[in-house]
Amino acid sequence: MMYEPKIVAYACTYCSYPGADLAGTSRIKYSPNVNIIRVLCSGRVSPELILRTFREGADGVLVLGCHFGDCHFINGNHRTAKRIPVLQRVLEFSGIEPERLRLEWVSASEGERFAQIVDEFTETVRELAPMRQVLA
Amino acid sequence: MEYRNVLTTCPYCGTGCGLYLQVLDGKVVGTLPVKGHPISEGALCIKGWNAHSFIHHPDRLTSPLIREQGRFREASWDKAYDLIADKFSSLKEEFGPDSLAVLSSAKCTNEENYLLQKFTRAVLGTNNVDHCARL
Amino acid sequence: MNRLEALRDLIEEALDEVDGVVGLRSSSGYVAPHLFREREELHQLAVSPKYALPTTLRLIQTAHPEAKLGIVCRGCEERGLIEMAKRNQINLDHIAVIGLACTAEEAEECRCAKPYPSVLVDSHVGERVEPVADKLAEELRQKGVPERLDFWLSQFNKCIKCYGCRNACPQCFCPECTLEEELWVERGRVPPPFPSFHLIRAMHTVGKCVGCRECELSCPAHIPLTTLYTLIRQEVGEMFGYEPGVALEDEPPLVLPMEVES
Repeated sequence: MMYEPKIVAYACTYCSYPGADLAGTSRIKYSPNVNIIRVLCSGRVSPELILRTFREGADGVLVLGCHFGDCHFINGNHRTAKRIPVLQRVLEFSGIEPERLRLEWVSASEGERFAQIVDEFTETVRELAPMRQVLA
Repeated sequence: MEYRNVLTTCPYCGTGCGLYLQVLDGKVVGTLPVKGHPISEGALCIKGWNAHSFIHHPDRLTSPLIREQGRFREASWDKAYDLIADKFSSLKEEFGPDSLAVLSSAKCTNEENYLLQKFTRAVLGTNNVDHCARL
Repeated sequence: MNRLEALRDLIEEALDEVDGVVGLRSSSGYVAPHLFREREELHQLAVSPKYALPTTLRLIQTAHPEAKLGIVCRGCEERGLIEMAKRNQINLDHIAVIGLACTAEEAEECRCAKPYPSVLVDSHVGERVEPVADKLAEELRQKGVPERLDFWLSQFNKCIKCYGCRNACPQCFCPECTLEEELWVERGRVPPPFPSFHLIRAMHTVGKCVGCRECELSCPAHIPLTTLYTLIRQEVGEMFGYEPGVALEDEPPLVLPMEVES
């Protein structure tokens, strides 16, 4: 199914957003389908927020946080690490492909890695139907 | 310390779902559905679940109020009825019975609604009577 | 002696020690939760249909924190009490728990994984029966993702947004409920848009749902909510080794930081 998927990435202020910024300043090309939203910590990304994002038309949601031990808020990313897999199972049981939601740890120096994740994820979501068809 | 459930019927629509009012120490604190009820089958709609909320609500009127110079003041039932009868009579005199209208409510009982329409038609002399559910 | 008579005897005994016992009372042909304070009221005692008695207990205890109370508890209600106690919603210190085992028919209807209490009980009535598997959950596990979507969409499209599932749930106690926030659940739309309402609720039951089925029983549209929550509960059990309602010392996984080797 060929279409341009809309990806929303929630990136945390202290690690993954600077990582994304580094990809930009290094002029690394990555998929333009992504809309990056900066949040204070990946632990702030609640299931309600992700579900609303899907509801508003996102075909895929990326949640990016700090590696364990690096979180500015000590254990915010621990919450994310538990919450996202559970939400993926909930989506799977309800009939929404869990591949639409992905959690990755990106540090402030991993610009290259950020670009790679976005590209891979865009391709994964491109294989799936647009969200508006699923929710219709 | 006293807790009991009082069986009643939901006042809101014509379905007539069974409802338990939860009474704790003399105050109504919530509602419960009636399991095994032939009509509501143990479920309630959103109005039924909140049917208790107006009972002890601070905004609830507890005495008649008469507006004077743009402000409401409390009045006795007698004074209120005198004013109503006065005004209805004078308006009916001056503008005819069809200048009056009566609006009833789905929360009233069938008997109350019957009385009200009888009053409107026989006493006030007009057919202008309707019901909030038709709005 | 049947369950009802045995229960009546136990409650009579309990009334010597406690100020009141929360149980079911039959009156005017219908059954409702009740706080029995005097022996004379016990002729109206009933055992079914089941209600979420822990919710009633919490209501009374919040108004009278010092009172010594008793409660008639089925398996699911005991699990509910344990989860409430973990979250400081109820104080189990002054509570006498009188266990009531469900019959085979009741266990079958509820697809119950453990139709009898065993952890908190001070005394017990009724014979323990075998747990029953949730057939619908097993069927759904076999289906692929698009078929599951069809199934759940057809179910959730019946929803009239009565909030009965949330109101009836013994574990739902938040004074400000996420499901009432306009930011997450659009106002004025019935059925509420998929996936918001129901999947938010499903996520919020993680670590809390004990499978008491009150949500399903109070759903006017007969949506098999407990099946969805059971599937999630089984997954969470595998992922974190955590089962709600089993032991007071178990801590819910989602609120804890992980143990990470540094």
